[in-house]
Amino acid sequence: MKKHFIKFLILLLVIFAWVRCAKNFPTDEDGLLITTRGQCYVGNFELLGADFQTVRTAAAVIDTTAQTINTTVMFGTDLKNLFPQFSLVTDAKLDPKITGKVDFSDLANPKKWTVVSGNRLVRKTYTVYITVQPKP
Amino acid sequence: MQRKYLSLITVMLVAIFFSSCQDKEYALPLGKTGLNNDCIKRTLGPNIVGANIEFAYAMALPASEGKIVSSQVVATIAGATGTYLENRSFYTNSSGVDVGITVGSASVTTDVKTMVTFTKDTCAATLRYFYTIPEAARGGSVSFKFSATASNGQTVSYDMGPYTITTMDMKLDLVCTDNKAMYLSIADMALYDAAGAAANAANIDLVYLYRNIAGITFTHALVSPAASTDYLPGVTLPTGVNKSTKMSKTWALNDFNLARLQYGIYIDDVDFKVLDFTNAPNFVINLKAQAGTWVETADGKYRAYIYINAVNNTAPSMTVSIKRYKMK
Repeated sequence: MKKHFIKFLILLLVIFAWVRCAKNFPTDEDGLLITTRGQCYVGNFELLGADFQTVRTAAAVIDTTAQTINTTVMFGTDLKNLFPQFSLVTDAKLDPKITGKVDFSDLANPKKWTVVSGNRLVRKTYTVYITVQPKP
Repeated sequence: MQRKYLSLITVMLVAIFFSSCQDKEYALPLGKTGLNNDCIKRTLGPNIVGANIEFAYAMALPASEGKIVSSQVVATIAGATGTYLENRSFYTNSSGVDVGITVGSASVTTDVKTMVTFTKDTCAATLRYFYTIPEAARGGSVSFKFSATASNGQTVSYDMGPYTITTMDMKLDLVCTDNKAMYLSIADMALYDAAGAAANAANIDLVYLYRNIAGITFTHALVSPAASTDYLPGVTLPTGVNKSTKMSKTWALNDFNLARLQYGIYIDDVDFKVLDFTNAPNFVINLKAQAGTWVETADGKYRAYIYINAVNNTAPSMTVSIKRYKMK
């Protein structure tokens, strides 16, 4: 009886270990879930100043075909200290990551971010064009 | 064997049952005898030179043992003018209002000691102590010894502190007026008109202006004299006014000492030390009430936080309050 019990226990442990190690939910290098979604676009774009208030004069124009974002910021905006915020399609992520203030002052060389789809197979690079409201 | 264990468990359960159901005799708690005291600090946030630290000092003894004769506070550094110990004992009425009952003569301050002599026959009182922080305490620390004496000769004391006194300065409610008192000096914590600015040109850090320009939002602005003329439209700077002050705009950083609103936010010395002005601009425009700006003077000697208390678009003006920290 005791012998059978030990055998059953070992079998149970092996099954448990095997199930635990099976990779049913793959994740990427950031630990984010890789899903089946192939959509890859920016839904909304916000630009905040050092005071975390918007610096836009109107909603940003997002062209998902041309992969561009155009926005006009207020006269006097401090372009060296801005916080961009992207709203992406479900499961997508941004590369490179935004970790703090971004310097947009070099208007001739607009900043670029790549949107990576949920299945991590589609990558689309968006260019952010900023126009400063001209002095009248 | 099994039976033996069962009997043992049963005995234990019965014992627990009996002990938990046993009634304990209730006895009225006895009050403390003799003179007792307690103290709390009522003010929160940094202790700034010129501002008050407020305490509530309570003392009591059973009526049968005597009455309170005197109460005193000894500070390690003598308080500035305005330091006093209340001669009224406060209670909070049903409407939540603090009501004061006079229990002694007005306090007498001699150097580090502030004392109230009781004139009413009372065995319990709570007195408030307001310590106006003197210049001598800046950057140091201060402690207090509260004590009370009863008619039966008993004396009690309570130590409070030490409390760190900030290095920073504070100036409240400076009214910047467009084309008049528009030159702000962080070093002097003062506003100047054009003539005053010319006379103190080396100390002028910012220019206040209000402009209502069609097509853009400019309104109230604080601009360095050295900033682009795009941000100083119609301003002719006095001779020698040419500093470039680094700035970082904020919103809703309603410091309690500056705003005097309901928000429990306090800017302390340490906040100035950790600021990073790399790539900071030298102007901020479109300022509104409850906005503010961190500032670093051109020579790096001072860092400050300028809070906008109020703005007036009709008679262009802006009320600001400042906390300033000396860096070197």
